[in-house]
Amino acid sequence: MKARDNQSDQLKSSVNPVTLEIIRQLLQSIPDEVEMDLTRTAFSPLIYEYKDYAVGMVDVEGRLIAQSRGGIPIFLANVLGLAVMDGVATYAEEGIHSGDVIITNHAGTLGQHLNNVVMFTPMMDPNHPDKVIAFMAILAHWTDIGGKYVGSSASNDTTDIFQEGIQFRCVKMRRAGKPVSETYRMIEYNTRFPTMVLGDVDAQLAGCTKGANLFTRLAEKFGTDTLMSGIAELWKKTEASARAAVAAIPDGVYFASSFLDNDGIDLNKHIECPITVTVMGERFIVDFSNISPQVRGPFNSGRYGGGITCARIAFKYLTTPLEFTNEGSFVPLEVVLPEGKFLSAAANAPMARYSAPISTVVDTIVHAMEAVAPAMIAAGHHASMGSHRFQGMHPETGVLFSHLDTALGGWGGSHNRDGSGPFKTLAHGDTLDVPVEVQEMLYGLHINSICFRTDSAGAGQYRGGPGLDKQYTIHHPVKLTLTFERNGCPPWGVMAGKEGQPNYVEIQRSDESEPTIYLKASDIPLNTGDRVLIHSGGGGGYGHPFNRDPEAVALDVKRGVVSEAAAREDYGVILNTDQGVNHCLTLEERSKRRACV
Amino acid sequence: MLIVATDTGGTFTDLAAYDDASCTVVYTKSLTTYDNFVEGVMNCANKADLDLSNAEIFKHGTTLVINALIQRNGAKTALVMTKGFRDVLEIGRGNRPEPFNIHYRRDAPLVPRELRFEIDERVSGKGQPIKVPSEQEILEVAKQLKAAEVQSVGVSFLHAFQLSDHERAVAAQLQKLLPGVTVTYGSALSNEWYEFERTATVAANAYVGPQVAGYLKRLEARLQDDTFEGRLFMMGSNGGVLNVEEALRAPIALVESGPVGGCIGAAAYAQALGISCGIAFDMGGTTAKCAVVQDGQFDVKSLYHVGGYDRGFPIRGAVIDIVEVGAGGGSIAYLDAQLGLHVGPRSAGSTPGPAAYGRGGTEPTITDANLALGRIDASSFLGGSMTLDLAAARQAIGEKVADPLGFHGDQGIDSMADGMITIATVTMANAIKRITVERGLDPRDYTLFAFGGGGPLHAVQIARQLMIPTVIIPPEPGNFSALGMLLADFRVDSSVTFVRPLTDVSIGEAESVSTKMREGIGATLKSQIGKGEIRFKRFAEIRYRGQVHTIRTPLEVGANAGGMRAAFESLYKARYGHADSKSPVEIVGLTMVGLGQMDKPTFESLAPNRNAIAKPQLSGREAFFPGASTRIVASVFKRSQLASGFIAKGPALIEEYGSTTVVGPGDKFSIGKLGEIRIELDLKGEA
Repeated sequence: MKARDNQSDQLKSSVNPVTLEIIRQLLQSIPDEVEMDLTRTAFSPLIYEYKDYAVGMVDVEGRLIAQSRGGIPIFLANVLGLAVMDGVATYAEEGIHSGDVIITNHAGTLGQHLNNVVMFTPMMDPNHPDKVIAFMAILAHWTDIGGKYVGSSASNDTTDIFQEGIQFRCVKMRRAGKPVSETYRMIEYNTRFPTMVLGDVDAQLAGCTKGANLFTRLAEKFGTDTLMSGIAELWKKTEASARAAVAAIPDGVYFASSFLDNDGIDLNKHIECPITVTVMGERFIVDFSNISPQVRGPFNSGRYGGGITCARIAFKYLTTPLEFTNEGSFVPLEVVLPEGKFLSAAANAPMARYSAPISTVVDTIVHAMEAVAPAMIAAGHHASMGSHRFQGMHPETGVLFSHLDTALGGWGGSHNRDGSGPFKTLAHGDTLDVPVEVQEMLYGLHINSICFRTDSAGAGQYRGGPGLDKQYTIHHPVKLTLTFERNGCPPWGVMAGKEGQPNYVEIQRSDESEPTIYLKASDIPLNTGDRVLIHSGGGGGYGHPFNRDPEAVALDVKRGVVSEAAAREDYGVILNTDQGVNHCLTLEERSKRRACV
Repeated sequence: MLIVATDTGGTFTDLAAYDDASCTVVYTKSLTTYDNFVEGVMNCANKADLDLSNAEIFKHGTTLVINALIQRNGAKTALVMTKGFRDVLEIGRGNRPEPFNIHYRRDAPLVPRELRFEIDERVSGKGQPIKVPSEQEILEVAKQLKAAEVQSVGVSFLHAFQLSDHERAVAAQLQKLLPGVTVTYGSALSNEWYEFERTATVAANAYVGPQVAGYLKRLEARLQDDTFEGRLFMMGSNGGVLNVEEALRAPIALVESGPVGGCIGAAAYAQALGISCGIAFDMGGTTAKCAVVQDGQFDVKSLYHVGGYDRGFPIRGAVIDIVEVGAGGGSIAYLDAQLGLHVGPRSAGSTPGPAAYGRGGTEPTITDANLALGRIDASSFLGGSMTLDLAAARQAIGEKVADPLGFHGDQGIDSMADGMITIATVTMANAIKRITVERGLDPRDYTLFAFGGGGPLHAVQIARQLMIPTVIIPPEPGNFSALGMLLADFRVDSSVTFVRPLTDVSIGEAESVSTKMREGIGATLKSQIGKGEIRFKRFAEIRYRGQVHTIRTPLEVGANAGGMRAAFESLYKARYGHADSKSPVEIVGLTMVGLGQMDKPTFESLAPNRNAIAKPQLSGREAFFPGASTRIVASVFKRSQLASGFIAKGPALIEEYGSTTVVGPGDKFSIGKLGEIRIELDLKGEA
């Protein structure tokens, strides 16, 4: 009892609780407001539909004050803080002054592909205009920054970072509010799409400026001291919440393992992901010591963009999924990650596809908690970025187009319901798929069908969500680049549930009798009459399939999600000719096969 | 002659009836009857003792459609879709708005997979027919629909916004083959691209169709039983009325039928008072809503999410642009595990209600805080028809909020009650920022029109925070939604996808497209209004090529590309702070709005000041005002006693049935010529 009193005394804040709640609301509204502007003024679908950005504020020590909620989850690591701290170190002598704007995409700092460029600007104390109190920072995926392939990161075979574009390590774009024209020229002549990239730079810049103004107004309203103490209080509260969530997980050492198909170059060599999680009181330790070393192809990431990011995303899913993110969110998390692994690669390693492994690694950490946190977890999901990029000339206008799409697939079942989806991976969030009508109108593509893939969902008491079959017919010559994963290691079932069907792509040439299967390939030439069939994976099942309500299985059959054969084979459910459940035969079948096990 | 308006809301059904012979208005309220909404409407009419044989117009707003969609109690509905695409409805856009929720799922689709049928037909991306649907296959599908015993069918084909022939043909054929079944198709409701959004719209329309038809039939029958021979109109989500025939054709147009009345009222008052820039602010028991009113008009948007963005589904169609937040009189204040203080969005509703209602509620709400601070009076709530329990309100705040945070005693309760309201105020002010600042408008240029039970209580504090200089409390704030409906006109909105670079040539094409749209809207309106005058407004949705969001730019007669570009860039710059004079610009859509006038009451008649007296009674009450450190004595007035021209200073509390207006120390108020309370804020010293 005494301990609890102590704890609640600690939580009592030095800032008035009403003021604190108002500060919390207003702080969160800054990145949210900036984010809305960014998505509306960006020129690249990667920003406005894919949500490949992060907006936030960090203090002078790089600690995260607040981050926007709409961006995809993979920027949960302190990417904004890292960028800012590298900038502070770089400009130790010159200093960072009011109205300065700095960009960086340095792989050695951020550990991500070079398209991800962080832009930041200092925010000054209203009473001491020379004193920096925090930074406004925005990361955005730039469409192209040079390198071997159009789009820079659309690679499956680059072998070092220099093939993947230009690096700006903390370069000033503005000094005291004045544009630095040298920097703009460097950008303009190192991208294949200068209009689009410079348009997005404008949107990013406007967001930095707007956010900085909003934050400064808060400092004026509450006073810098009250505002900064309020921020520290909010960190403490978030930390306490995360600690409480970890404390609720039984102590122990937990393990799960998975693998990725290959690195795009050594096609027969898996990338191994054995991961150990240790829970000790309020500590949550993720150990990556045994994962594969740095790989030859572009599937590496640096320590922060890779291992730390994966651990943070998994930790967030497992502990405080619905709370705002700030510096306090990850205090209980510790990561063991030796140098030189594919999630802690060297600064010059190829990283174009750095994000492709993230959803698998995160899912593996979640999987490790299967036995002790069965209500928190879900069975495995399709986990494939499944990027398929069509590139070519529009048949009528002759204009070059490049259309990037990523796969939707099934998610895993959980302790009280079937898996959901189809969604993109758990490293995506509010990422919108491009409508068929838009693809056909703007790119001259032709899509024959998109429908649920029968029997793709892993069987279970709660089955996985189904994957999709999507079919294109090619009406004019285009090139196709594919990056599909998790074919060899399908989405796993948990608690005796079955695995889902894996991801793969088939190309049926008009002049060949059999389709060819692809996972990763660049610039495949396609001709009129060829067909592309994309099969995305289904989620894994949760619990033994024989425990599934036979009526639910019959409904799945009626809906075409499960075939009648699979109902018998996987679920032990026998249907009558009217597709109703034959309860007698089902009972018999299930008990007979249970006895065999 | 009578004009009657009724509004079926979540708790109450409201009625306002205007008699042009006596120039008087009566208002009544009755509990909403959930098993049969018609009863609640008729109860109201009976209570008002109306002679319906004398009524010429009966306007009606209802939550029927949104309730059916959210509670999933609509008709057994099937979809007929392009071969290969029956899962469009369930796949949606594949996004997860809750990024870290591993158990995230969307609400189930309105039409399950076994009722989604396919027909082998196809229109190309260029809008050309590739495969025409065969008679034989339509027959086959009709047979299956019959076997499945569906009550309603929606037809939705790819690219039907470019070429609607296939949809129309299949729908007509199915209607012939399936008598008694409601059949609708997507391109009759929306002519914009994005197959999922259009399909979700027609699914929703089909889903609610039979229920709306049955309801309207019952309502018409009951009205006729009561000797009503006039015309029945429904309130549309776009803020205009539509006749029964239109409501039957597109019942989905009634999705936000309820909340629009207040906005219409605020727009009409703003115009009558010569105020061009207003914000309508409506605070009820569970939520607060706000909308911008410009020159007597409000914005509509063409995408609306039923059940919210996070888990619900979109519909296309004109819906008044309202931002809603979870702050109302019933919003509950609570502490999280880390002793953080929050208010809402959870609400105590009307059962158990705030602690002060004495119906078993123990959690402190905004109403409890207002009572605890003396801003509302325990004995004059709802005209004294319900006595509030002050001690229970204070106890709830003390036990659940103040004591655990270390704020003890009466002073502690006062300061936390004030804090609760301050937090709710920030939430509501943020909602107003979202419809102004985030659309490039400066709230300081606006007048705040506050109504609903809670609007008048909080308006001044919200306005002070946003530096809004003037607040207006219209007459009958507690009945304002029904009152607003009395003032509603006809309105039809129509949008088409039209993708072209912005050039003089494309504007020429836009002219001919919009002429066609104008003819269509004109015909629809003509059939409803008869002789009245019709006004049109039209807009082009413009963006920089490559962007996805557009700016709605007025398309004036005789417009040219240069002028349109300048207009677009100036709107863009106002909204985002920067614009680019070099990037190519394109038109993506055209929107046409038609407006037709209806007979309506005079404003004077809406606020009869029969009880006004030269020297109104003045009493005093101790109350705790926002941000104060102690209680002060405020003047207390009965609104009904205040004649137009009356002027006084705050601190003041103006009481009436259903609401209390709070006027802060230093603020001044007066009663205007239309009976409105006009509060001029003292903004000196505010930052």
